[in-house]
Amino acid sequence: MITATRNRRRKGRAKLSEIRNFTLNFGPQHPAAHGVLRLVLEMDGEVIVRADPHIGLLHRATEKLAESKHYVQSLPYMDRLDYVSMMCNEHAFVLATEKMLGLEVPIRAQYIRVMFDEITRILNHLLWIGAHALDVGAMTMFIYAFREREDLMDCYEAVSGARLHAAYYRPGGVYRDLPDKMPQFRGDSKWHSADEMKALNENREGSLLDFIEDFTNRFPGYVDEYETLLTDNRIWKQRLVDVGVMSAERALQMGLTGPMLRGSGVEWDLRKKQPYAVYDKLDFDIPVGTNGDSYDRYLVRIEEFRQSNRIIRQCINWLRNNPGPVMSADHKVTAPSRTEMKEEMEALIHHFKLVSEGFSMPEGEAYAAVEHPKGEFGIYFVSDGANKPYRMKIRAPGFAHLAAMDEMVRGHMLADVVTVIGTQDIVFGEVDR
Amino acid sequence: MQLLKSLTLKELRSGLGVTGRYFFRKKITVQYPEERAPQSPRFRGLHAQRRYPNGEERCIACKLCEVVCPALAITIESEQREDGSRRTTRYDIDLTKCIFCGFCEEACPVDAIVETRVYEYHGEQRGDLLMTKEKLLAVGDTHEAQIAADRAEDAKYR
Amino acid sequence: MVNIEINGKVIETRDGVTLIEAADSAGITIPRFCYHSKLSIAASCRMCLVEVEKAPKPLPACATPVSEGMKVHTRSPKAIAAQRSVMEFLLINHPLDCPICDQGGECDLQEMAMGYGSGISRYTEGKRVVHNPDLGALIATDMTRCIHCTRCVRFGQEVAGMMELGAPGRGEHMHIGTYMEGTVDSELSGNVIDLCPVGALTSKPYRYTARPWELRSYHSISPHDCVGSNIRVDVRNGKAMRVVPRENETVNETWIADRDRYSYTANDHPERLTQPMIREEGEWIASDWDTALTRAAEGLKAIAERDGAEQLGALASYSATTEEFYLLQKLMRGIGSGNIDHRLRQVDFRDQAEQPAYPALGQAIQDLELLDAVLLIGSNIRKDQPLLAQRLRKASRNNGAQIMAINAVDYDFTFPLAQKCITTDLGAELSGVLKALLTLTGDSAPDSLQPLLTGVEPSEAQQNIAETLKAAPQATVLLGNTAASYPARAELQALANLIAELAGARVGLLAEGGNSAGAWLAGCLPHREAGGRAATVSGMDWRAMVKAGLKGYLSLGIEPELDCIESAAVTKAMEQAEFVVALTAYTGEGLMAQADVLLPIGTFLETAGSFINTEGHWQSFGGVARAAGESRPAWKVLRVLGNLLDLNGFAYTSAETIRTEMEGLFGDVPIGNRSEWTMSEPTKLHQGLLRIADVPIYAVDPMVRRAMPLQATADALLAVRLSANSRTLEKYGLADGDQATVSQDGGEATFIVAVDERLPDNAVYLPAGISETRGLGGSFSPIQLAKA
Repeated sequence: MITATRNRRRKGRAKLSEIRNFTLNFGPQHPAAHGVLRLVLEMDGEVIVRADPHIGLLHRATEKLAESKHYVQSLPYMDRLDYVSMMCNEHAFVLATEKMLGLEVPIRAQYIRVMFDEITRILNHLLWIGAHALDVGAMTMFIYAFREREDLMDCYEAVSGARLHAAYYRPGGVYRDLPDKMPQFRGDSKWHSADEMKALNENREGSLLDFIEDFTNRFPGYVDEYETLLTDNRIWKQRLVDVGVMSAERALQMGLTGPMLRGSGVEWDLRKKQPYAVYDKLDFDIPVGTNGDSYDRYLVRIEEFRQSNRIIRQCINWLRNNPGPVMSADHKVTAPSRTEMKEEMEALIHHFKLVSEGFSMPEGEAYAAVEHPKGEFGIYFVSDGANKPYRMKIRAPGFAHLAAMDEMVRGHMLADVVTVIGTQDIVFGEVDR
Repeated sequence: MQLLKSLTLKELRSGLGVTGRYFFRKKITVQYPEERAPQSPRFRGLHAQRRYPNGEERCIACKLCEVVCPALAITIESEQREDGSRRTTRYDIDLTKCIFCGFCEEACPVDAIVETRVYEYHGEQRGDLLMTKEKLLAVGDTHEAQIAADRAEDAKYR
Repeated sequence: MVNIEINGKVIETRDGVTLIEAADSAGITIPRFCYHSKLSIAASCRMCLVEVEKAPKPLPACATPVSEGMKVHTRSPKAIAAQRSVMEFLLINHPLDCPICDQGGECDLQEMAMGYGSGISRYTEGKRVVHNPDLGALIATDMTRCIHCTRCVRFGQEVAGMMELGAPGRGEHMHIGTYMEGTVDSELSGNVIDLCPVGALTSKPYRYTARPWELRSYHSISPHDCVGSNIRVDVRNGKAMRVVPRENETVNETWIADRDRYSYTANDHPERLTQPMIREEGEWIASDWDTALTRAAEGLKAIAERDGAEQLGALASYSATTEEFYLLQKLMRGIGSGNIDHRLRQVDFRDQAEQPAYPALGQAIQDLELLDAVLLIGSNIRKDQPLLAQRLRKASRNNGAQIMAINAVDYDFTFPLAQKCITTDLGAELSGVLKALLTLTGDSAPDSLQPLLTGVEPSEAQQNIAETLKAAPQATVLLGNTAASYPARAELQALANLIAELAGARVGLLAEGGNSAGAWLAGCLPHREAGGRAATVSGMDWRAMVKAGLKGYLSLGIEPELDCIESAAVTKAMEQAEFVVALTAYTGEGLMAQADVLLPIGTFLETAGSFINTEGHWQSFGGVARAAGESRPAWKVLRVLGNLLDLNGFAYTSAETIRTEMEGLFGDVPIGNRSEWTMSEPTKLHQGLLRIADVPIYAVDPMVRRAMPLQATADALLAVRLSANSRTLEKYGLADGDQATVSQDGGEATFIVAVDERLPDNAVYLPAGISETRGLGGSFSPIQLAKA
């Protein structure tokens, strides 16, 4: 909770005229601090004079750990960086390895990756909008956002077996193809009638793609509802408009990326500017703001909901019509299928070696970045030719955003700090890593 | 016009309309634990060790799961059993270390170590979350039908 | 020199080398299975196919000699295709065993398949299955995995000198196995495990216990013979899991003996002493270090004060580290006693003052290969120093060396003997050789040796030996372990010295155990201090101590009744002594009966220290395994004991500090194998029935005696026997398979008799160092034999 310490006046020298600033510890156990953020705020009354973010409380040495594991072993740790946009983190990781290996990824795998990247973007933004609105005082949004997240996490589970930490992308493709059956609610229940259960299962009758398509049909309507609740809402606007303004120039200087940059009117999106995977084959738009305040960033993210939905629909169409491999057939890097592994000598040897030692990375270095829901998320490898990276560096967008915290809240009221944390969409998994 | 909208609290009313509609709509929640959300056959939950239909444990102590485990959660001791086969004398999974990435299952050449659909378990002491070979085999024995069905369903994708 | 070009890189190389050697020296990797630099070329696996310009087909790099201007491509499409195809063929019959195969993770086949093979298989037919021969307790077989590289066959033929494995059958029916049912009994057999590029031959004791990626490797030195083989100990969770050779061309090449490889299995033997023990009123009770060390110090101090320090004696193992020897003698001399000895298998100490600084080979181990003539005197070099025997075999094979032996038993060697004299009277044979040499050179022997030469008429064999030695440009006379325990050892050495001098040959002493040289240099001797200085307080040798019946003993790493050649005498002395402190890694029947305080010490795997090998090579090593129970390195125990006895100079913090101190003391030790001893009176050998007692290969020290896999080999099982030639047996009314009772020095034992025509007349062979012969007397000493 908020703890305050008044600078002590020395005994016997009390002078009422001597007023000093108030130092306020915000977090790390504060519900609005998004995880383990600790902000040391210097206050002049209600007004922030200086904000000093303290980080490191969630440091797990992901970069250092990677140096002692072979490449694929580090992949599950990517999920745990920004733990609300798991597959996007994985995407940057596999892109970097593939770039170093010069590995071709089957086109179907690339479509699957793009589809799940956008699902992840929606997942991330849903959590953002829920938490942001909750911080600012709107309870309902949180409930609605989590209702949609439930469907999307079912998609995660259907392909990877895990609702959050998927470990689904692999160097060379994705681990498994999309299932042609969607898990269903079980019929027997004393709470729901058979008809009610049937209704619940209605969109689960077909394949995963059918389920996602059903979602994309429903989702724009949901976004409309969010907008009805927020966009014109006077309280929402009072809390967001002109709060945490970042000029385009300053945003660029501070290294802000993603909606934080686009909200300030800079049209910068890696999906367009440095297309990776199959983004160059897809049709979508980049929303930008004009004022660079929290409200503009809100609008940008709302539009990204719609654009992501659009991309997912295009991917579904393509994936429906183009079956094929989802993993590179280069077994010097990618593990063979289980059937092959159990029947063929070559496959067994490659499986054994890839599991126990992994592949060796050619000497060199590579940086690959993706347009992560929060901004530019990049992985930088230096390899000395071994099966483990000599050095791995994670470029986390949240880290740069947090560095802008001081500038964004200075001169604002204490309550606006909460808004700025919300608009920055900070997740400490990636900041502390 | 803007003033009118503002004075009539239009945007607040339409917001209340949205929430109001949901107030009367059918709930999408299910009643846990009697009802459960759907689960994928790929689900990665509690680990289990499987047996062959004749009761023989599948695990051959190849230690591939041990070496691939990114969290170093698996500890295996092995030896030659009296019948000459390669077997474990110790197979521990420390669930407090495990990150449920599923690599152990992917690595296993004989489908011995699997991750089941079980996600409801707890430990009252620290040691309760150290899954020994006996505990793992017991989980496997209890859920074998489900485990086998799930592997069969997903076989064509792996 | 010729110039060739490999992958565009110009390489200058010696004429006559093969492509693969040229590539290796240039750091270019060519895949291979059957090629091994120490073995002949088979070119059977075809993995090393490379493209040579102007050659119509890819050529095997291991069998293609370089020629001027050759242009070779190891990674051209043609070469890659050839290698990939070979890999595919090698894998068609390979079973899907990787998950249960011990080689998995360090398998050449896996590496090559990853590096050069295809990622997918096109083979769908059935695979063949091959029967697994039982090769004994050391080597596990899974012959279906074999890829027929024949490295093991060539090793047996060329290096080990025993044609035990072969490749009968052709084509699909070819398989590796023993020609007849039987185990592989070579003392170097374990090396085929390292040679096998796949998992067909693996180590039996190591089987299924670890994966290579779990192991941490440490460097160490083997303590079991004077070669000082360089070994790598693979440790998992502080436990030694296996021992493999470490390449050192000058010492052990790429080989080690089975004794070095498998002795680690004794490290967690049930008899391991894991905590200090003291005897309270005849009962053994487990104690702690404080109590036990205080008890030991007080006991020793009491005797020193009451009866004088000369009533204390110290006996040390041949295989303790130099640091331990040094501290032991420092401790004893600190108390005031000079009774220190490690030469527990010697009985003749008349020439000790004139002995060289340490028993040395007198030449580099590597140079043994270059010899033209070798005379072995009283040596079973093949079992005592297997890797030196391997060098002699090389000399014989490659250099045509004439190897001759004067032995008490006609031992089987892996090289042919040009001449051999089998007798119990080794001295007489040597006298004959000397006489022949004197006649050849026209010199005369010094007066002191004249008594040995009177009336000696050289036999034809002796004459030949003399001539061969004289004629050979590079000749060596080697005195072995049997010679060392010979009652007239001093004469043998004097004769050998003179023979060598006259023939222009070198003399080599094949020392016992792993660190005789270290013991001599550290001063673990009654008459010399560290660095070979004459002792200020001279003491008794171990036989004199035993005879004198000292009041107190301190033993280091030995089981006296097994490690001393005269078991009966030492057992009696120990049991009669008032106070015996034993620093030992193992308990055992003998020590439990003799000692009063048992202090647990670490084996060589758990101790830091150094060994000095037979060529004077001083090699240090660190402790690699976790100490068993409460055991401590012996140097630490001796250090604390020194402190408790209020001695100065026992403030060492590490084994290195001891070594530094010793280095200062040793200085420049004169290296030479000559001793200027003057014989006063020749030793008379007993004329009746003699016992020949050598120490079998797997009975040399307490650790080896407890290595169960080694004890299950033919060498260990056959050692427990009493044998004599048929004439001798007939004289005693015995036949093969009879039960016979022997008595010697008051001890008695019963054995099944075996006929062994390799023995001379009037001698029975009954090894020392094994529990079955404890309580008997020494070697070349009289024994009574009777039908049981």
